[in-house]
Amino acid sequence: MAPLTTLSWSDAWYLAPEITLSAFAIVLTILDLFAPKSWNRNFIGWLTVLGLAVAAGFVVWLMLDFKNAGATGGNPVHDLLGGSYRVDDFGNLLKLVFLGSSGFIVLASLGSVRTADVPIKGEFYYLLLPAVLGAMVMSSSGDLVTLFIGLELLSITSYILVGSRKRNGLSSEAAFKYLVTGGVASAFILYGMSFLYGIAGSTNLSLIGQNIGQIVTDYHALVYVAFFLMTAGFAMKVALAPFHAWAADVYQGAPTPITSFLAVVSKGAAFAMLYRIFMNTVFFMQNTPAVRDDIYLALAVLAAAAMIVGTAGALRQRNVKRLLALSGVANAGILMIPLTLRVTQLHSSIFTEFFYYLLAYAFMNIGAFAILTVVSRGSGNESLSGFAGLYHRAPWTAVAMTVLLCSLAGLPVTGGFFGKLFILFGTVQTGSYWLAAILLVTTVVSYAVYFGFIRQMYLRSGNEDTGLRIPGPAAVAIWICVAATLALGFLPKVVLDWIDALFSIPVDFLSK
Amino acid sequence: MTVFAEYAWLVPVFPVAAFAVLIAMGRGAGRPGAWIGTLATLLSLILSLCIAGERISGKAEDYSAHYHWLQVGNISLSAGYEVTNLTSLMLVIVTLVSFLVNLYSQGYMRDDDRMPTFFAYMGLFTGSMLGLVLADNLLTMYIFWELVGVCSFLLVGFWFHKPEAKAAAKKAFIVTRIGDLGLLIAILLLFWYMPNHALDFSTLHNVFATQSGVIATGITTWIALLIFLGAVGKSGQFPLHVWLPDAMEGPTPISALIHAATMVAAGVFLVARTFDIFQASPAAMHTVAIIGAFTAIFAATIGLAQNDIKRILAYSTISQLGYMMLALGVGSMPAAMFHLFTHAFFKALLFLGAGSIIHGVHTQDIREMGGLGRKMKTTAWTFGIGALALSGIPPFAGFWSKDAILTAALDKQPILFVVGAVAAFFTALYMARLFFLVFTGNPRNDSHAHESPAVMTIPLVVLAVLAVVAGFVQTPFNGWFAEWLTGDKAVEHGSGLVMVVSAAIGLLGVYLGWLIYAKGAIRRDVVSSRMPGLVKLLENKYYIDELYHLLFVKPLYALGKVLNAFDDYVVDGVVRLAGQSATGLGRLNARLQSGQVQAYTLTALIGLVILALAIAGRRFW
Repeated sequence: MAPLTTLSWSDAWYLAPEITLSAFAIVLTILDLFAPKSWNRNFIGWLTVLGLAVAAGFVVWLMLDFKNAGATGGNPVHDLLGGSYRVDDFGNLLKLVFLGSSGFIVLASLGSVRTADVPIKGEFYYLLLPAVLGAMVMSSSGDLVTLFIGLELLSITSYILVGSRKRNGLSSEAAFKYLVTGGVASAFILYGMSFLYGIAGSTNLSLIGQNIGQIVTDYHALVYVAFFLMTAGFAMKVALAPFHAWAADVYQGAPTPITSFLAVVSKGAAFAMLYRIFMNTVFFMQNTPAVRDDIYLALAVLAAAAMIVGTAGALRQRNVKRLLALSGVANAGILMIPLTLRVTQLHSSIFTEFFYYLLAYAFMNIGAFAILTVVSRGSGNESLSGFAGLYHRAPWTAVAMTVLLCSLAGLPVTGGFFGKLFILFGTVQTGSYWLAAILLVTTVVSYAVYFGFIRQMYLRSGNEDTGLRIPGPAAVAIWICVAATLALGFLPKVVLDWIDALFSIPVDFLSK
Repeated sequence: MTVFAEYAWLVPVFPVAAFAVLIAMGRGAGRPGAWIGTLATLLSLILSLCIAGERISGKAEDYSAHYHWLQVGNISLSAGYEVTNLTSLMLVIVTLVSFLVNLYSQGYMRDDDRMPTFFAYMGLFTGSMLGLVLADNLLTMYIFWELVGVCSFLLVGFWFHKPEAKAAAKKAFIVTRIGDLGLLIAILLLFWYMPNHALDFSTLHNVFATQSGVIATGITTWIALLIFLGAVGKSGQFPLHVWLPDAMEGPTPISALIHAATMVAAGVFLVARTFDIFQASPAAMHTVAIIGAFTAIFAATIGLAQNDIKRILAYSTISQLGYMMLALGVGSMPAAMFHLFTHAFFKALLFLGAGSIIHGVHTQDIREMGGLGRKMKTTAWTFGIGALALSGIPPFAGFWSKDAILTAALDKQPILFVVGAVAAFFTALYMARLFFLVFTGNPRNDSHAHESPAVMTIPLVVLAVLAVVAGFVQTPFNGWFAEWLTGDKAVEHGSGLVMVVSAAIGLLGVYLGWLIYAKGAIRRDVVSSRMPGLVKLLENKYYIDELYHLLFVKPLYALGKVLNAFDDYVVDGVVRLAGQSATGLGRLNARLQSGQVQAYTLTALIGLVILALAIAGRRFW
């Protein structure tokens, strides 16, 4: 075993985004403690946005740095702490998504979350910082232990955030359920990891990857146990069927901005961790294709089940948050597809496909949840009928929602359309026709789900004639999401080229 | 020198911009808004005159410009415009007539509360036609061709609250679509067979005019006939002429626009533009000539027995377009374009005159009119000039152009000349009937007819002057027009015989009409009392509409019912089944979500076990 390496001052530069978030989290905690009760806690929200923005700025800086390094023949990857922390373009891209999404979520909640609803507004905002930090660790670790720490950091803060509507019974129930199911999921993952450590003798992913060929031949059955346990745990975290049952309850009980955080950041982080582990291990099982294909098949089956169950379940929902939870289940299935596809000469773009759809998914969900926040504030409930006659009350908001719904349904010309299209191309190129068929059929069925909104907004008349008041920050967040959704639809090539230029499997996952 | 030609693309842009502005403003535009449309066509007219002037005065090169629109693999589609003598002539015709019609409509549509919409549509109509004229390749032309069709639908059905107008608009659209389909297939065939998939007119000219044999004669004939089918639909030639008379349900200025400058001229222009393809196929040329001649006489006979002033004029248009097709079929493109040129003026004149009459007496039935000459002096005089021009009486414009066509027909095929001459006789007769019934004699109803306002009569006067003088650009003694159009010196000039015969036939027709309808020397029922069947046949337009109804509409309707039933029961059944199974699955999911967290984790555990057993377990079995 290599001697432990510690952090040096020169490494701090590579950790600047993480350090920024930690610093902001600590400072904001103290500020919240000492600021007089009479102060409106919105300034903490704004400072949270600032912290996220600064961290995102550092990430961009690092990416530019790596790009220059790559251009001059250097290695665009930096290992810290003996390979347990890894700063690379894979991590950076995802960190940008997490930071940006969280920023928009905070913006959307500024002014639209009522103090009566969430009494602990200060914590509500600054607790997002450690949660995002956890997500960033999950996307940037090269070691099972660090990954798990990131996962727990994200999970535990999320449990608190879900329960932040303290006087709401549903919220407390949701927090409890999330704690229990999240704990079970963590247990599954940790149990699987311990088996992996047991047979590999290391928690370092690149070491495991180097020896995995031998390990599989030696401990055939234990490999199955390790990977199936981890698969089940991650399936719970990202809400793949049949591990999804908690999602609807938790999404419904949580404050709407937190719901959108769970749907986008938590889910994305779990996928990041999944990629980290699976690309470093399963990818190297070329000599034992049966085992490798079984693991991929398990993921594919879960993806298919999620698409079917999520879409069918959403058909019957009248509560918008439960509906979006189930739509999130279906989307988790879609996001899972690229990982299950074999990487070949013809088809080496699985991360591009995943990332493109993740981007589209993030924007359409944050936008939709932000609109739901303002609409349900006006109507006083979170049911679909709250959207009735929205077009007549707030035509522009209805138009924005329509764009986001089109993206969710996968209609052109939106990000959702191209995201699904690229994933569909991937399935066809690798010959996974059954996944392609399920993707297509569930997409068509999902039209019925999303058009339910459109029918409510345009064809039903609402009972209130008052206009809808949308706080400025929320409006900014909504329209950025709409613009980004359309941009992903109109300029897919620009985004694709950008991802392809930055990311490559050999450099970002596999290099030392 | 090509100063103005480079800006030719602006010609269609003005009216289309007016359309956009008027539509954006909606009804708020009001009557001042309507002037935007008129002003835009005036700008187009001025620019067109500059372009044409430049081409007449100097030795201007043909000018064309295009940009790449779409590139798929090594196939590229482009959009562009081309200014030649032919297109510059068409630009002037279209913009001039359109401007005068616009001006006239200021008076005619004064009381319509959708007036801005009317001018908006008219702008789009004019702009589409101008785009069609300027297009440098078939695909661009086809896009504008379809736009013209859409606009005709919108304008014929402008008074959509009248069921007849609605039906007429639908009919116009559907019947011309049959022709459009032919044109589309022709374009696809050309795309397939042309070297490099080129569709621009200069390449078409190079391929077909040189008779290089790049494309086999059989295919060429097919292409030419399919293009001609498109022209038959748009130009109202037999057997697709049925929409044109019904299109009279639209506002009268639109009839003038459709019949003189935009819609129907498009068909003739299409054949003229692709004339090289036709000339490469003798069979296609024969077909064009025969259809043209037949339509000319066929429509003229129907015109004899109609009583609606606009319908008579509609059949006269069909008949005159037949002449143009005849000219094209016998190989004389200049004669066809010459007739298109003169016809545009006198037909616009006649329709606007008819509009003025209808405006005054509020009826379209010529049997209820009479003696209007004294009350509507300007209208009567100008209408008379138009009627004389249409009847081919020298020295009016129609005489010279019809003379050119008949000369060309006689050169090629004497029988076609005879048919054309007889049709000319009928033309003179029904126009005489129309004129004398409307303007002479005693009033047959008690309406207080009055002359129309100046904004309506000024266009009439302008068009009347043109109907007199436009013919002198090409006479048997002066071949300037044909020379300019084709750049070819050796164009045959007319013969004295044809001139004499054609003038005599025209005068005979007018004289006979005068005897019957003005003087009363011959009884009106001289034919109908002896051959009632013939008259009935003519009145009912040879029962073509009824025949089509029986042959096409009814069977298609029945087929539609069958398909509808299939859709209702089989397709919808499958859809309902799919929907039900999806909701059933959803219900199952709802049962799973009992709210019990222990159930959730148990499900997860069971899921894991099943997954592991099913996928990994099979390896250890």
